[in-house]
Amino acid sequence: MVFFDAAEVRGIVEELVAEVGLPADLPVTIDIDETTPMGRARVASFDPVVITAESGALEDVKAPRRLSVDGTVDVIGKLLLSVRDRTDPAFGEPPAEEDLTLQESVAWEVYCVGRLGRLGHPVQRQRRLYQFRNRHGFTDAADAAFDKLWSADQLTWAAITTISQTALAALPA
Amino acid sequence: MRKAFPVEDLARDGRFVRVPMSERFEDPRTALVEHGAGKTKRGPGRLTPDRPDAPDAARALMHGIFVGEIQALEGAGRTCWDFEVGAGNGEGIPEVPFELKLDMARQCWDEARHCEISIKLSAHMGTELGEFSENTFLYEAACNPDPVLRLTGVNRALEGLAIDVFNTMREFGDVAGDPVLEFCEDWMLADEVTHVKMGSDWLRKLTVNDKPRQERALEFQRVVDKLFSLGGFRGEEEDSPVRLARRFRELAGFEEEEMDTLAEIAREAREEMELRVEANRAAAVAG
Repeated sequence: MVFFDAAEVRGIVEELVAEVGLPADLPVTIDIDETTPMGRARVASFDPVVITAESGALEDVKAPRRLSVDGTVDVIGKLLLSVRDRTDPAFGEPPAEEDLTLQESVAWEVYCVGRLGRLGHPVQRQRRLYQFRNRHGFTDAADAAFDKLWSADQLTWAAITTISQTALAALPA
Repeated sequence: MRKAFPVEDLARDGRFVRVPMSERFEDPRTALVEHGAGKTKRGPGRLTPDRPDAPDAARALMHGIFVGEIQALEGAGRTCWDFEVGAGNGEGIPEVPFELKLDMARQCWDEARHCEISIKLSAHMGTELGEFSENTFLYEAACNPDPVLRLTGVNRALEGLAIDVFNTMREFGDVAGDPVLEFCEDWMLADEVTHVKMGSDWLRKLTVNDKPRQERALEFQRVVDKLFSLGGFRGEEEDSPVRLARRFRELAGFEEEEMDTLAEIAREAREEMELRVEANRAAAVAG
């Protein structure tokens, strides 16, 4: 129902696996649900790595049912960085995906996308700031927290949640 | 300067890509989600902050508003120019009262301001101009050769939809705690009530002695309303992404019966879309 080229997706994923610091021979499965135009994507399994994506997540919004290369890099790259974090003992032990709050999830996303941008990929900083503000408030404290997450490397899960909670604490009662 | 400016000639730079509605309707994918034996829930549902994709959904909707404002400016400008000044009673060459041209000029002023607000809101939300596709249905409705049908199609039907959408976005901004979005949507919403009221008032004035023309205009409005109910995008169901804003429509001159009809049109559009998607899906599987 969509016109995605599996080989093209495979090529993007193989490059990203190497760029984000995962083992080059790590098997990664991308399971795309072509029956829906919605845009959810998540890591369904970490060992083996299985990423499930509704077709809208990788779609070019200006060319319906066609693949967006930049969009695919953005979505898959972010998720692969979260895989790297989870498999790094120094990162700590975050909750399971389904147990993350919206605030925790978006804070981690900001940390991942900031790193993806420093790898040379186009990322939309203001879009991510807007997402972060929606979960942490439209405050100076939230913007400062965003800057920390966006520009950081080698954060732990505990550090991410601390930064997130600092922003949340500044919300008006 | 020429009259009747076709949609193909609208000025756009390379950032703007048009996707026809037919391509959307022929998409075999469906937003329907199963959540129990024999039960389906429509996705994505209302735009509320607790949706995981809420910020991006708001961005996409805001971009749709932005391109709509451009077309509304272009459409109001055409209606201001395309007709000679006259009684506007439908006889002979298309004519409109001078006061109607003044109202259209006033609307141009409003829509230009809305374009500027939309651009600033896009920057606030992290959306690039042209990031999403453009559909030119609003401007195409403004190309009708009868000025009364233009006003019912654009000012009553489409600006009426704008009332529903802006009210939804305003509520979203309020609940999400985004003071910029809430304020901007509230500001533009006030103007849309005025634009719809202009359409309501001129419809009645220009057709007071011509009931067949009035009926043609209202039928055109119903066609546009159905098309722009977009398969259940706008409705009164709990999971409708955009809710019918009855109170603001009442201020804009809609009768209760008209709004009931619109709600029914929305339900019909939703059911027809579901059938169309099923047919497209079956064709895709077979072919």
